[in-house]
Amino acid sequence: MVSPENSDSPASRSHKMQDLIGHALRIGVVTACIVAIAGGIYYLAAHGFEPIPDYREFHSESASFTTARGIWHGVTHLQAKEWMQLGVVLLIFTPVVRVALSLVLFLRERDWLYVAITAIVLGVILGNMLEGSLG
Amino acid sequence: MISILAFTLILLLGAYAAGLLGSLTGLGGGVVVIPLLTLAFGVDFRYAIGAALVASIATSSGSASAYVREGITNVRLGMFLEIATTIGAVVGAIIALWMPTNTIAIIYGLVLIFTAVMTQRRGTDHQGVQGSRLAGLLKLHSTFPTRSGGLQRYELTHVAGGFSIMTVAGVLSGLLGIGSGVLKVLAMDTVMKVPFKVSTTTSNFMIGVTAAASAVIYLQRGYIDPGIAFPVMVGVLMGALTGARLLKRMDVTVLRRIFAIAILLVAINMIYNGFTGKF
Repeated sequence: MVSPENSDSPASRSHKMQDLIGHALRIGVVTACIVAIAGGIYYLAAHGFEPIPDYREFHSESASFTTARGIWHGVTHLQAKEWMQLGVVLLIFTPVVRVALSLVLFLRERDWLYVAITAIVLGVILGNMLEGSLG
Repeated sequence: MISILAFTLILLLGAYAAGLLGSLTGLGGGVVVIPLLTLAFGVDFRYAIGAALVASIATSSGSASAYVREGITNVRLGMFLEIATTIGAVVGAIIALWMPTNTIAIIYGLVLIFTAVMTQRRGTDHQGVQGSRLAGLLKLHSTFPTRSGGLQRYELTHVAGGFSIMTVAGVLSGLLGIGSGVLKVLAMDTVMKVPFKVSTTTSNFMIGVTAAASAVIYLQRGYIDPGIAFPVMVGVLMGALTGARLLKRMDVTVLRRIFAIAILLVAINMIYNGFTGKF
């Protein structure tokens, strides 16, 4: 617990940082779930009684599920499966947002070593994302 | 042929059980999701890996939000080792794109056997470890809250060794979609002499970031199907929440032993199917 008289000490600031990260993770997971469930219910209502697609053979998903533009196009046109995929994407991005938040907080603590370390981690994730969307 | 509604509901229940078991045994949801999808539903291994990654992120983010607040997680240690696991995960995901699925299934079976053996081990708390100079320079020594309300200080060592094992953990995570929590705990607990409680929570904290690094590649390559990922994600998350609640007033030692045997049976099944080319 943070006592009021030392609410500006480095220890309590790092406590606030951990609180913020904890909140961010929870908000991300809850939002992702709500979006996916909303899409899922709509999907089941519209297509629930059709036979399942053939998942025994792998055929790469179409651009509407694999690119930001494709998912966004489906989402704005109220396509159920794209809403479900948006929920999944939000979930995947939750830990990435956590890393980005950590970077901001290490910056505020002026912990340059960990600013660099966090930037490397963020760079690896975002770099391979950009590489994938170009290639 | 069953309908989409039936498939979704059965998968939701299966994923709930996976999340529950994963949280009670500390192995995460991904380990159960792959055999559930491939062996029970006959789903292609690649879709199963994509779904397992989603399950790993769901359980990690869901439970990490609680542990980080308790102050047990060593955020600096986790961040430093994430350099190893994220690079490893990207490499693993790239390997998975060209490796035959039967080979992946055999590797998965071997990892399961290793996991089953490792879960029967007891954690140690490493009192009075003399920390190494590198660990000090990286500001990895830290404290964790004890039951009596005080703070216990700890130091750690063998940074390079832990970092190397973490790279392997990252590759396996990217290749198989699992969190490789067992290997992460091994790197911290056995090699770096981090207290067991700190190792498990920090490992769990790292799993989400590691899985996200490879999930991006799987998503872009079309391995993540919303029709499978949606019930898996919701089911595993609900199961993990129930598990976390049950864990507070349940003795799980017997459950862990039964689970280890079940994992061994699944592993043998995976390796057999891999060798006979069923995937």
